[in-house]
Amino acid sequence: MSLLEVRGITMRFGGLTAVDDVTFNVTEGQIFAVIGPNGAGKTTLFNAITGVYEPTDGTVRFRGSPVRLEPDARLGFRAAVVAIVAGLGAFLAINIQELWTVGIAANYVLNQPFPWEKAVADVLHAARGVPFAWGVLPAILGAGVGAGTVVALWQRSRRTPDLIARAGLARTFQNIRLFTDLSLVENVLVGMDSRMRNGFWTNLLRLPAFSHERAWTEREALDLLQFVGLSERAHEAAGSLPYGHRRRLEIARALASKPAVLLLDEPAAGMNPSEMVELMELIRRVRDRGVTVILIEHHMKLVMGISDRIVVLQYGKLIGQGTPAEIRADRRCIEAYLGTEGEE
Amino acid sequence: MRLLPTPILAYFAIMAALPLFMGTSGLFYDAFQAIFVFSLVGLGLNVVTGFTGLLNLGMAAFMAIGAYTFAILTSDIYPFQIGFWWGIVATVVIGAVAGFLLGAPTLGLSGDYLAIVTMGFGEITLDVLKNLDAVTKGTQGINPLPRPTFGSWTLELQQERGWYWLLLGFVLLAVLAVRRLERSRSGRAWLSIREDALASQCMGIPPKRTKMIAFSTGSALAALGGALFAALLSSTGEPASYDFQVSILALCIVIVGGMGSVAGTLVGAVVMVGMNSLVLVKLADWAGAAGVGGASNVLASPNNWKYLIFGLALILVVRLKPDGLLPPRLEGGSG
Repeated sequence: MSLLEVRGITMRFGGLTAVDDVTFNVTEGQIFAVIGPNGAGKTTLFNAITGVYEPTDGTVRFRGSPVRLEPDARLGFRAAVVAIVAGLGAFLAINIQELWTVGIAANYVLNQPFPWEKAVADVLHAARGVPFAWGVLPAILGAGVGAGTVVALWQRSRRTPDLIARAGLARTFQNIRLFTDLSLVENVLVGMDSRMRNGFWTNLLRLPAFSHERAWTEREALDLLQFVGLSERAHEAAGSLPYGHRRRLEIARALASKPAVLLLDEPAAGMNPSEMVELMELIRRVRDRGVTVILIEHHMKLVMGISDRIVVLQYGKLIGQGTPAEIRADRRCIEAYLGTEGEE
Repeated sequence: MRLLPTPILAYFAIMAALPLFMGTSGLFYDAFQAIFVFSLVGLGLNVVTGFTGLLNLGMAAFMAIGAYTFAILTSDIYPFQIGFWWGIVATVVIGAVAGFLLGAPTLGLSGDYLAIVTMGFGEITLDVLKNLDAVTKGTQGINPLPRPTFGSWTLELQQERGWYWLLLGFVLLAVLAVRRLERSRSGRAWLSIREDALASQCMGIPPKRTKMIAFSTGSALAALGGALFAALLSSTGEPASYDFQVSILALCIVIVGGMGSVAGTLVGAVVMVGMNSLVLVKLADWAGAAGVGGASNVLASPNNWKYLIFGLALILVVRLKPDGLLPPRLEGGSG
């Protein structure tokens, strides 16, 4: 079974079809390349896979399941709670003045014990006397708006990047997006977030679980920095790194979540030949860790050198796929892409 | 790496010792009690705006919510009277809930839109407090409020030193809490959203939930500040004490001190509030003594120039030290 199945993905922005009915499978353990001329829709395809965009059409299945929230009992429960709170809130917002006067102001005498039971009874009695238009109607409206909001918010959060990242697809960006004011270790630790279990209270109260998790996550973050060759600068700001190293840090950050699939968007952009050789080496080592790699790349040398399988996009359409040797022999692919690059 | 770096330790050492040289009452105490209250509000805003990058222009509303929650639950004009300490606990909880309720539907908004919503929230809160006079006593404010008790001993209003150290203690607790969060998974998630929201989400950080926790934490701290502000006066004061100027003052504190820097926020509060309640008051006294200003010529009184001076301070900081007086320092990773 394929690890990642992309079925008929289409991405339209207004009248522009950036990705048009693209279908392919990625098998576990491969290095899989997406190539094509500038503007062919490669990055858009990546964004559709990782949830940055909701595809106009088509599905992405990861390990056989579409990574998305399905409506379940929890959603219903949340909608109900919000509806009750919102309805009650709307009722109180309109009637608080009267209820407060009847229940509290009328019953309380300074320094005398407060008759709680009588106050509650008075409030309930007054609430029953509230006319329909000031009582039931706002409550119903509030409940409706509250429940509607929950459902609407859920609709929008069905397939978001964080959900997909947590499922095991990590990515890097074409224009490197590091957390520049954080140190290298902290960048990697952010990537590790999905594997951490400590919540707000554990961190605030520094419960025993806190130091335990801190110890192993930091150790692992340093190991990852070692893996990409940046451990000497572990505590420097990410913004102080030279360009070539930033790519490596981005890869380390993506690997921190122990993803099954790593998507690299033009990792060799702007690199000189020797940096590129190191990068190829790094990508192979990532694959050897058991991570499936999908990359977008322009450098044919890199792509042809390390890929197990290649798909070619042109104007958003998939025009060919196969092993590097097959792509080299495919006339359409050569015309679309390879031919324009001359001898490379 | 350390939870309380040297500047923060120095701050608390100096602040704790200062009253020993300042007598037992006077302007100094008024000024520094206000500074500590606004340090708490500033720390709250620092979590929301400094760490998470969400511009909140409604901190005064959360202060007001804190002050009124505390007042309603503790004042003897209402039957609840849960006492000072439970009042503080309830205030922090209600403040967090208020932040959650405002944040839940609005934190999907980006940048300027969120700022506008929080600003509107501030105005609405003021109007509600003014007009819901059955509960809030309108412009009169709720009073009197109880004093804190320690066992059988009660801290009276005139014991300025006691209040000073009590407030300083609350600031220390807040600093510890904020620092602990900053140096943990929660704080890193906040910072990552500020640094790059898309990258953060693509690393598996749920943006809404993370922002909501930041927002609630900030609101809880502002509410705590509001409650102590009210306890200090033994009255909530009139609702206008929590107007837009107060939100802006909180923002100035964070900007002048250094966005995202706890030490900076503390310094920012000393500079901004100190200027307001110490320097300007002194200047007004001198001007009065020298025969300028006073009732006959309000324009000559430095107190009436304070927003001009605030604005000037802000411009100077932004021009000369764009990262604030004590910008956040890079610290090594720690859990």
